[in-house]
Amino acid sequence: METNEINAALKAAQINNALGFFIMAFGVIVLFAMIFTETFVEHMTDMVAGLILISIGGGMMWKAKSTIKKLKSKKE
Amino acid sequence: MLAGIDYFIVIAYIIGMLLLGLYFKKFVNSSEDYFLGGKSLPFWAIGMSIVVSDIGALDFVGVSGQAYRYGISVGNFDWVGSVPAMLLAAFIFIPYFWRGGMYTIPEYLGRRYNQKVRTIASVTWILFFALDLGVLFWASAVLLNVLMGWPIWISIVATAGVVGLYTYFGGITAVIMTDVVQFIIMFIGGFALVFLSLYEVGGWDNMVDKIATMGPEYRNHFDIIQPQDTKSPFPWTGILFGLTFVMANAYMIGNQSIVQRCLTAKNEWHAKASMIFGSALKMFIPILVLFPGLMAVVVHPGLEDGDQALPMMIKSILPPGLVGLMFAAFFAGLMSSVDSLLNSTATLFTKDIYEPFIKKGADDKHYLKVGQITTLVLLLIGVATSPISSDFPGIYVAIQTFMSYFQGPIFAILLLGIFWKRTTEWGGLSALVIGIGFAIYLNVFKEQFFTIEDPFLYISWWSFLLGFIINVVVSLLTKKHTEEQLKGLVFSSKILVENKKL
Repeated sequence: METNEINAALKAAQINNALGFFIMAFGVIVLFAMIFTETFVEHMTDMVAGLILISIGGGMMWKAKSTIKKLKSKKE
Repeated sequence: MLAGIDYFIVIAYIIGMLLLGLYFKKFVNSSEDYFLGGKSLPFWAIGMSIVVSDIGALDFVGVSGQAYRYGISVGNFDWVGSVPAMLLAAFIFIPYFWRGGMYTIPEYLGRRYNQKVRTIASVTWILFFALDLGVLFWASAVLLNVLMGWPIWISIVATAGVVGLYTYFGGITAVIMTDVVQFIIMFIGGFALVFLSLYEVGGWDNMVDKIATMGPEYRNHFDIIQPQDTKSPFPWTGILFGLTFVMANAYMIGNQSIVQRCLTAKNEWHAKASMIFGSALKMFIPILVLFPGLMAVVVHPGLEDGDQALPMMIKSILPPGLVGLMFAAFFAGLMSSVDSLLNSTATLFTKDIYEPFIKKGADDKHYLKVGQITTLVLLLIGVATSPISSDFPGIYVAIQTFMSYFQGPIFAILLLGIFWKRTTEWGGLSALVIGIGFAIYLNVFKEQFFTIEDPFLYISWWSFLLGFIINVVVSLLTKKHTEEQLKGLVFSSKILVENKKL
């Protein structure tokens, strides 16, 4: 891999990391909002939506972090 | 007004968007970074961004409202009105723009025809975008005013401050990546709304039965194809000729804010894939937007204004937390439309007007600065003109209609420019000028030519057709381009199978 390609991949991973954090934070807030729901269906909707957001955000962060680690070691 | 957790979510979303957008400042070191994201973005992010910028908050509310009034025929805009055009753009047009290293669509027109065509097309888009900005600022302010209770002027300044800061510093990377977040949240909130709405109306079959018994005005609610004499603005002839043949293609192929996104791709494969991925995502939009409008017919019958259908459904159906998230996504939709306009207009001005006419051959940092300053100036124009929208309630419709008029002639010259070697600079120029003039004429005297109230689909078709014919006739009468001049600008079957690496 050339230095340019490594830098481009690093940039993409850093962007994904930031996006993942943002999406995960909103997943946590939606999950927290469960305590304000009244019916079982509302309760489950918030829980499923929150968990999906956390999974997407967490997944992006995990993938980005492992890519950053790999690319940094390659760069050195 | 929102309360508690939902209020908190909207505020957190706005602040989060600002911080996220500002984070992208570190990736902007040149004008290519600012206007084309350094040509490094992946297809999935661009695809999501295309969908989000196409279906902004106003469209979300408007399409639901039209589904409430006219039924599922409005879904044509996202199916036949988008998917074929996006595939055509992916395989034929995007590769030419991408390989040519272009920043704007008028830049292609300039190379294929001449500088005059480039300038007219660019100025038309700049005018349209600048007018649209004020309207979008006003719409955002009204939304914040209604949801949060903030005074209108504070809402305008807050919107301008947030969007302006991240677009000024982060360029198109910030624009596309904030769209990705909005897309994910809109899809999750949207599917939750569809699921809970179906639960509320007792399932799909039950909803169809109930709507069928509500009266003769709901008879055609489940007909995707409407007869030619329908009272709705979507007769099949308009959908086929105006929407599928002209407006959809013109929008996906000739709209700077859409095409510019594809040009940020890291290679040609990603540029094509972004459109194809976007077209796949587009097929879900009618489910998210149309169904809540239809279900509102049962849950909230007799609404005077159909555009209230979606906000009413969100408030009455979604649980706390998701209400705030959906309204935050609405607001983000408006912010996404504003940031797209800001960045695209700055690109058009810098590349098509400033660089060729005001200062040629300056260093790259200079053009980056010009792009940023243009963004700032546009922001101020948008804020200053936004109150005009409140004096003219129909201005949004007028501006959108204006777009549909010049898109027909622009698409005619783009289509012939790519597919017909014989078309000449005079053919393109006369088609553009006469086509736009004809569309304006048809609009002014629309009562004499059309029976439906808002014939924008027909006008775009006829102005396209006239532009096409004029281009062919004038081109045959004028001197053709040499093979050398046309290199890399006209269709070759190789474009379908080859991917050029960056």
